[in-house]
Amino acid sequence: MKQLSFAAFISFWSVAGTLFVLSLLVPAPRSVEPADRRYTLQDIARHHSVDDCWMAIAGQVYDFSQFIPKHPAPAATMVAWCGKEATQGMKTKGYGNDHSPAAWAMAEAYRIGVLKSE
Amino acid sequence: MATKPHVIQLAIWLLAALPAALALLFVTPADYASSGTVLNMLGRLSGIWGLSCLLVAAMLSCRVPGFDQPFGGLTKLWQLHHKLGLSGFILLLAHPLLLAFGAAEESLTAAVASLFSTRLALLAGWAALLALMVFMLPTFHLLGEPDYQRWKKLHRLAGITVLFGLSHTMALGRTFPASWHALLWGSSGLLALSAMAYRWVFSRYYGRYSYRISKVSPLADSVVELSLQPLTKPLRYRPGQFVYLRPDALELSAGNGEEHPFTLSSAPSAPVLRICIKALGDASRALQHIAVGSCVTVEGPYGNFLPLSMAPGRSLWIAGGIGIVPFLSYLRHSASQHNALDVQLIYCVEDKAHLLFADELSQLAATIDGCRLTVHFFNRDGPLDSRFVAEHCPDVSARKVWICGPAPLLCRSRAILRRAGVATGDIVTEAFTLL
Repeated sequence: MKQLSFAAFISFWSVAGTLFVLSLLVPAPRSVEPADRRYTLQDIARHHSVDDCWMAIAGQVYDFSQFIPKHPAPAATMVAWCGKEATQGMKTKGYGNDHSPAAWAMAEAYRIGVLKSE
Repeated sequence: MATKPHVIQLAIWLLAALPAALALLFVTPADYASSGTVLNMLGRLSGIWGLSCLLVAAMLSCRVPGFDQPFGGLTKLWQLHHKLGLSGFILLLAHPLLLAFGAAEESLTAAVASLFSTRLALLAGWAALLALMVFMLPTFHLLGEPDYQRWKKLHRLAGITVLFGLSHTMALGRTFPASWHALLWGSSGLLALSAMAYRWVFSRYYGRYSYRISKVSPLADSVVELSLQPLTKPLRYRPGQFVYLRPDALELSAGNGEEHPFTLSSAPSAPVLRICIKALGDASRALQHIAVGSCVTVEGPYGNFLPLSMAPGRSLWIAGGIGIVPFLSYLRHSASQHNALDVQLIYCVEDKAHLLFADELSQLAATIDGCRLTVHFFNRDGPLDSRFVAEHCPDVSARKVWICGPAPLLCRSRAILRRAGVATGDIVTEAFTLL
């Protein structure tokens, strides 16, 4: 078991190091969406269903329609925030705990613009 | 009837796996939506299982006298603690990597963000993992056998791992509903931290006994027997048990104030406590010259090597070198209680110069009904073998066997006994090393 643990230890640093170096070497993909397009809360409110779900979070606008089936919590958890300003939902998950850095980074892939103040 | 140690050990492994099993209740179809979500789920499960293994290992580290008995003694308990720690280590190494692989489905940036971030909860996870790595490294013996005291100090980093690991999980865990999350990690964390608090703080007020050295008897080169007079209430123990001895003697060249495990050689009914010490390191070498009148603290008793019953039935005892001590304690006790035994004792030593308690053992064997002593000299008879055992213990297959000595003797004896037809369950061993 000691040999297995040592092998796991070496593997861990090999993989973590490789991921880190790759992140430095591989250029970030260019967004295909017009990330600076501006939407109002009224625009967002029109997309309020499980199949068409937009949210405003921390000044950014996201289209999570394709992500809802992948979200670990039941769909109803996210649908409750569709068409709304959802910063509170993202930052508290309903019980005070913020989403992980990975979740915030994942959300970036669904960003479609910024929130226009009305 | 007492529960067998392997049943207790199995129950501990199940307890460590329980949170991960409970987490399976909260797996949803969304967790199987893609390879990324499956990897994410596996990452969360490995984190839950790994932390649980560490918390249960921490609970077992309390070393409350008597707590080790259901596990088959403290050495068996330490082995279980060690295996749980290694399992937790492997699972917790897999945890961040699986989460990163899961996030890689979205982007490489997301994968790296799940590993490296300045967010406090993630930094707590890293602090826990790095502390775990640092105190686990000596276990791999990369630089040879680790120094016992240095390893013990390093092992205190386990406290950081538990505290930061719990903080990380409390902040980021999302597999369980909030109430389950708080109850599960709150209760198991509290138990683990209580056990550690006992070990580091409260153990000095419970289970420790003050003694004064009344006699130092050199037995052979690098072996002494210390006689200890109780200063307050005396320790209650069984033959074959061991204690942690902590000397308070400034004149010692090494090891003053350090605790080390030593087996008791006296009979429980004797007015003085006797401890045999072989010079195996700096501290035990210094103890060879401890002054009469020095004060020591004794913590224990621990171990469950020899049976509770004073009539173990037909037995074969195999002792190697200083491994004679628990058997000597048992024989001294049997003689003081006028108990009859049916024991064949094979005492393996290098040569006559290394034979400990030669006269007393012969006298005890002559005094106690049913006790036969055979000395095996390595230099004269070669390594212990089947022929020697069969010659001196022809009915070995009908006996239960207890072995105490260095690891090579344990290994060799087990092989001889298995060939002779002794069932594995009828072989009880006690090793010197606790690491």
